Amino acid sequence: MKKHWWKALGVVIVLYSFFMGLLTPLKTGILEANPASVRTGQEVMLEVKGYNSFYTQAQNELRAWLKMDSERALAARRVEVVDDRLVKLTFDIPAFLPVDKKVQDFTLILDSPADGASVLPSGVFVTQDSINAALGETAWPNADIANLHEKAAITFPFRNILGETIRNTYYHVPLWFAMFILFISAVVYSVKHLRNFDQRYDEQAAALTSVGILYGILGLVTGAIWAKHTWGAYWSFDVKQNMTAVGLLIYGAYFVLRASFEDPEKKARISAVYNIFAFATLIPLLYVIPKLTDSLHPGAGGNIAFGSQDLDNTMRMVFYPAIIGWTLMGVWMAQLIFRMNRLKHRLLEE
Amino acid sequence: MLKAVRKAFTTLSLFLFPFTFLMAQEDADFMRSMGKMYVVVAVIAAIFIGLVIFLVYLDRKLTRLENQIIHHE
Amino acid sequence: MNLFKEIIFLLRKEFKLEWRQKYALSGILLYVLSTVFIIYISFQRVSPQLWNVLFWIIMLFASINAVVKSFVQESGHRQLYYYQLANPIAILLSKMLYNASLLLLLSVLTFSALSFIAGNPVEEAGQFSLALLLGSLGFSITFTFVSAIAAKADNSSTLMAILSFPVVIPILLLLVNLSAHSIGLLQSTMIGRDIMLLASVDLILVALGLVLFPYLWRD
Repeated sequence: MKKHWWKALGVVIVLYSFFMGLLTPLKTGILEANPASVRTGQEVMLEVKGYNSFYTQAQNELRAWLKMDSERALAARRVEVVDDRLVKLTFDIPAFLPVDKKVQDFTLILDSPADGASVLPSGVFVTQDSINAALGETAWPNADIANLHEKAAITFPFRNILGETIRNTYYHVPLWFAMFILFISAVVYSVKHLRNFDQRYDEQAAALTSVGILYGILGLVTGAIWAKHTWGAYWSFDVKQNMTAVGLLIYGAYFVLRASFEDPEKKARISAVYNIFAFATLIPLLYVIPKLTDSLHPGAGGNIAFGSQDLDNTMRMVFYPAIIGWTLMGVWMAQLIFRMNRLKHRLLEE
Repeated sequence: MLKAVRKAFTTLSLFLFPFTFLMAQEDADFMRSMGKMYVVVAVIAAIFIGLVIFLVYLDRKLTRLENQIIHHE
Repeated sequence: MNLFKEIIFLLRKEFKLEWRQKYALSGILLYVLSTVFIIYISFQRVSPQLWNVLFWIIMLFASINAVVKSFVQESGHRQLYYYQLANPIAILLSKMLYNASLLLLLSVLTFSALSFIAGNPVEEAGQFSLALLLGSLGFSITFTFVSAIAAKADNSSTLMAILSFPVVIPILLLLVNLSAHSIGLLQSTMIGRDIMLLASVDLILVALGLVLFPYLWRD
């Protein structure tokens, strides 16, 4: 049992990531505000649909604002709770906007002692007929947004386009990280092989690479499913997708190269050389990633999902262990392939 | 080399099977109901299918090895 | 100093051999010209965007055809001869240098043929020629090394294509980016960093090739 503890650890960590990732509820969010565009100088009634919300528990203490920036916000005059998922807000919108544009987007903020604060970015668009920024400046109030409530529970953040799919952060993204760890360790084994020509090192490299390829394909497929239902296309020519695709092509070529040698000693030596050289050519792709900030992928630029501010502490508690867990599982799978190939080797040598 | 290509193709088609299944019921409304929870379900199912494919691959290689050993004796 | 002399000697040998068997060189020239002509027939009007992509695709295939012979098509006897006489590092460096100059010539030729038929959209000539230089260096380094790997296998010419395409994609992406900038399709403030990146990738690959080549050579 002493030798196998890390396999159990990997399984336990992956199980933990599945349970925590699936059972933790999302924060309260706002699905939509209706109507989404209003005119100035009117009294508007917004119907706001909540997600995971319990508005009836907060009856009289529910507060709402339309916020433009840190200095300008308009508080709702009346808040009327219909049921747990629906609330009606009444705003008196002044006659002019404090900007030189015809249309301005506002963030809808809702605060309830039961659910905490929830936000709908660019939720309401206000259109004005004539532009007069100076008048708007005086007409537009600065309601104090203070004493926001914080829900005292372990929750994941709610993002509008993502919804529940934010949980995929623990199932799709760790595969990608684990794939990279496996590929890097395969390169390390290739270097080790070239240092003393031990056959076993090369077989380790091949086994790790094949599991890495499995993870890469899984990452592409799960990413495609996720992308289809959040952004609308399976493949969006995003840098990380392209990089994984190039990596898969390279390692596919690696196995074609291995298959074309008969002599095991020569096969090991030459495929180790190709493995190291091919990995080095991936370097420019690694550098290109942070440059393309308009990339669609979560994690890049000002996009949804996990930029630095979005991967909050609760998510880190599941995300980082998931990477470790999947890496350990991958090493275990690679060991199975490695041991089987060793046996085959021994059999052929006899 | 031909064997490797054929193997790659079978793996790919095995992967595409659940994919086409998903596309058949492309009823976006279904995938988007319950806060898009079914997208998470599909992703987890895809990972599970990947692990099953690994098991099948290992199983077939082991069978070949066993046959070789029997042959050997 | 000895290594330097050896490289010069091997380089002269490469040029002499090329001059004697003119068919290889003329074959590639013909390939470039006929591709450009086909493009002319099928497109007639070429937008700058298309021009950029077509240029690098023609370059990619022409380079593979040009470089494949450096190790793969070398006869076994001559390999043995080298092995006994020369330092492996000198062999690799001389081949890389020779291929780089060949590819530079090829890129200039492709450029002039393409601009003769489809017009010349290049706005910043200095930047574009830098892209050509770095591109032919990068192509020559990767293809020469991959050709050395593929030469060790049995069905090497097919293997050459399979092994080299994925390896060259990252460099190709950077090159297309750089030349798009020189054509004026792209506004980027970080083009200097791109050039640095390309140059450093070329350097890393040369260094890695020199370290790894002796392992390929010993048989």
